[in-house]
Amino acid sequence: MIDMIEKEEPIISEEEAAQYDRQIRLWGLDAQKRLRGSRVLLVGLGGLGAEVAKNLILAGVKGLTLLDHEQVTEESCRAQFLVPVTARGQNRAQASLERAQYLNPMVEVRAYPDRPEDKPDDFFLQFDAVCLTGCSRDLMVRVDQLCSQRNIKVFCGDVYGYYGYMFSDLGKEHHYALRIFCSLKEALEVDWTSEKAKASLKRTPVDYFLLHVLLKFRTDKGRDPDPQSFAEDSQLLRQIRDDVLESLAVSGDLLSDDFVSYCFSEMSPVCAVVGGVLGQEVVKALSQRDAPHRNFFFFDGRKGNGVVDYFGPN
Amino acid sequence: MVQLVGSLRKELADSLSSCRVLVVGAGGIGCELLKNLVLTGFKNIEVIDLDTIDVSNLNRQFLFQKKHVGKSKAQVAKESALQFCPTANITAYHDSIMNPDYNVEFFRNFMLVMNALDNRAARNHVNRMCLAADIPLIESGTAGYLGQVTVIKKGLTECYECQPKPSQKTFPGCTIRNTPSEPIHCIVWAKYLFNQLFGEEDADQEVSPDTADPEAAWNPEEAAARATASEKDGDIKRVSTKEWARSTGYDSIKLFNKLFKDDIMYLLTMDKLWKKRKAPLPLDWQQLENHARPQEDSPGSGLKDQQVLGIWGYCKLFQHSVETLRSQLEQKGDGAELVWDKDDPPAMDFVTAAANLRMHIFSMNMKSRFDIKSMAGNIIPAIATTNAVIAGLIVLEGLKILSGELESCRSIFLNKCPNLRKKLLVPCVLDPPSANCYVCASKPEVTVKLNVHKSMVVFLQDKILKERFGMVAPDVQIEDGKGTILISSEEGETEANNSKFLSDFGIRNGSRLQADDFLQDYTLLINVLHTEDLEKDVEFEVVGDAPDKAPPPPSNQEETNSITNGNKDSAQPSTSSKAPAEADDVMIVDSDEEEEGASSSSSAAAATSGTKRKHQDAETGEASAKRPRTDQSSAAAADDDDDDIIALD
Repeated sequence: MIDMIEKEEPIISEEEAAQYDRQIRLWGLDAQKRLRGSRVLLVGLGGLGAEVAKNLILAGVKGLTLLDHEQVTEESCRAQFLVPVTARGQNRAQASLERAQYLNPMVEVRAYPDRPEDKPDDFFLQFDAVCLTGCSRDLMVRVDQLCSQRNIKVFCGDVYGYYGYMFSDLGKEHHYALRIFCSLKEALEVDWTSEKAKASLKRTPVDYFLLHVLLKFRTDKGRDPDPQSFAEDSQLLRQIRDDVLESLAVSGDLLSDDFVSYCFSEMSPVCAVVGGVLGQEVVKALSQRDAPHRNFFFFDGRKGNGVVDYFGPN
Repeated sequence: MVQLVGSLRKELADSLSSCRVLVVGAGGIGCELLKNLVLTGFKNIEVIDLDTIDVSNLNRQFLFQKKHVGKSKAQVAKESALQFCPTANITAYHDSIMNPDYNVEFFRNFMLVMNALDNRAARNHVNRMCLAADIPLIESGTAGYLGQVTVIKKGLTECYECQPKPSQKTFPGCTIRNTPSEPIHCIVWAKYLFNQLFGEEDADQEVSPDTADPEAAWNPEEAAARATASEKDGDIKRVSTKEWARSTGYDSIKLFNKLFKDDIMYLLTMDKLWKKRKAPLPLDWQQLENHARPQEDSPGSGLKDQQVLGIWGYCKLFQHSVETLRSQLEQKGDGAELVWDKDDPPAMDFVTAAANLRMHIFSMNMKSRFDIKSMAGNIIPAIATTNAVIAGLIVLEGLKILSGELESCRSIFLNKCPNLRKKLLVPCVLDPPSANCYVCASKPEVTVKLNVHKSMVVFLQDKILKERFGMVAPDVQIEDGKGTILISSEEGETEANNSKFLSDFGIRNGSRLQADDFLQDYTLLINVLHTEDLEKDVEFEVVGDAPDKAPPPPSNQEETNSITNGNKDSAQPSTSSKAPAEADDVMIVDSDEEEEGASSSSSAAAATSGTKRKHQDAETGEASAKRPRTDQSSAAAADDDDDDIIALD
């Protein structure tokens, strides 16, 4: 581990001023100072996680903690740029640590190999923001519930092939934007049977429903669709699609079969786009500057469409 | 049966590993792009950048670390990328893409070219090379939170130069020299002063009071008399500012009193200028010294550079920087010239001090070094995330091209906030080539208005052909039935013509010139429209592709999106002292005015009132206001791109 200089309060040194010059000119010194005092937890060091890690480390947060229980596989070396090719078999978070730290020695980067499910509540409460990638729906709901009560900002995100999303819950109180966020649970449990919901379906990005399908796949199979099992996974995806749309009481026509072959593996450029938007949302929330996107961002890499939409009660 | 390699169809994955691609630029977008290409499975990548690494790059150009400062960007980018993908085949060139070695044959080696540039000159050049080689080009740019990607394919889409882009804003000479009203005028003056004293003297960068200012004269006869007097000198020996400074030994106090006292007092004698303006107040070194108070230290919450000193503080800064620059000059020897560089502390100190002193004289609030550096250095703020998003989009467009799906390529704009249709990323159908484009039309032609008696051949070459029309090595013949060669790209061949006037060669109203750049495989026919009637400080005008066509009126959009077309016209590297700016250039950007309110542009009005830009239907070429809405039943089928409200060009 590299020895970091502990700073009592976020003062920007001349060295930092020189390095962060081009971003200080964009978001201002106060924002940089707030970043400089923030600690963030990042769960999941797949393709998307690595992008978010890079973006936050470059932005100059005080500390970034990496948490990932997965091991480095051949696939992981292709998926992200922090893990050395020689690290096969090692823990993914720990293998990413060195390169992550090199991105910016002024940030305290730490890595833990544990399952996030095994971490006690107060582990999560030591951070100013928590960012969950590659996590199960249940874990995300749990951590979101736990953290947003304590005014810890919660972000979730995933990439499935050409598709990706980001969700944020900035809690009920924040001072820089008069917006209200809801929990992930509420966001995912929108009732589509009401007249109002039905009417809004036409303007609803289908990505929202796609997300449900992919989260269910992850819950049922304990993993994401795998190119190695293309045939079975494709069939399962179509089945889950039917089940999910039915259980949400929406039309089966909303999601055609087309998506199936485009949601395998984490595509690097899609990770870059979603990781860029997600990273910037974390920066905005920590620096308390500029209106946050509320509360989902969906990216469709085949069409180049990136939409922001709100899902939740009222 | 679909076969996947990772996320991609096997056929696509296979073509990625065999094709060769070129990345032009290894900076903000370039680093992100290189990473994406390598991780996506591209195996043969060539990257070129003439620049070296600076500490201010490190907040976003993540392939570089502190220890790499000063090294070649292309080289270090390659090495870092190989770290996480050792099997990639990457070739790095520490060179300018405008070097004639990179000819049409060179470009033909590639299936795809991706720009990651920060200046217009290089973009124009690569645009032409890709047209000449008929290779698809992905163009992109970022600035702050905004960004854009687009695809250029000869014959199918607009080229980079189909839409005219406004060039960097310049100010009239008399505003700079006599009647500054904004800090930027004083900053430009200070940069001119630097060049006059320490650098390459330029007749277009005078700093002394302009006696020929038309506003200064009470009546037309007086104006004429002043103009003649200033041209003819009479008995007054015109001494260059540099010669004068040298004669005083670059004495900082003498310099101070001339520039900030004597010259200001001279301006005051041009009393008509001050009838409706606040008159400038000359400074006196001695008086200021007597009244100097110790600088109160502001609480240390801000950056040192963000402090604004008192007037005496800038007097001292002026003195100190002049002394430092004087010794820099001495060290370089006889005939030496310094080149202004925002990252050279005494050069930046000098401009800070001189600009602030002038601002104070003209009753403007002084500014911090931090702010002056932004303006003087044309700095465009930049962050990692914007570049990451844009680079991701570049690769996605590239995959479409390599899959042979050009019709699905789009221009994509990254906004700061979602638009009225909730879109943060706005894809737009690509426009077909402009029939009148002076680059990609089949026989490009323009009309240029100038005074043939007052325009020199070297002016035609440098200001018109190179600067305005983006040629790198022009050859010019006169269409006079004899094919008289006016300019040859071979060094020295036509040097004798340089200071002759166009009229000396029989060029007059209606003459036609054929200009070629053989490297770019580009021929432009120029119709000469002679006029004696140009605005002050305007030496030529481009009329259009026919003599009777007026230029399009500049829209508000163009003015507000001044960053869109880049602060940087020249191709000098950011770390070179000649570079006028440092920027990750943006082309045309859908701005975020929806959030800020109708501040200035027509696009804000368009956005809020829901007017739509007419799209060219790619197949029929007809402008259609709206495509029929498709059923929203499937994510893939719905293609409502054209309903998007986008900024007017």
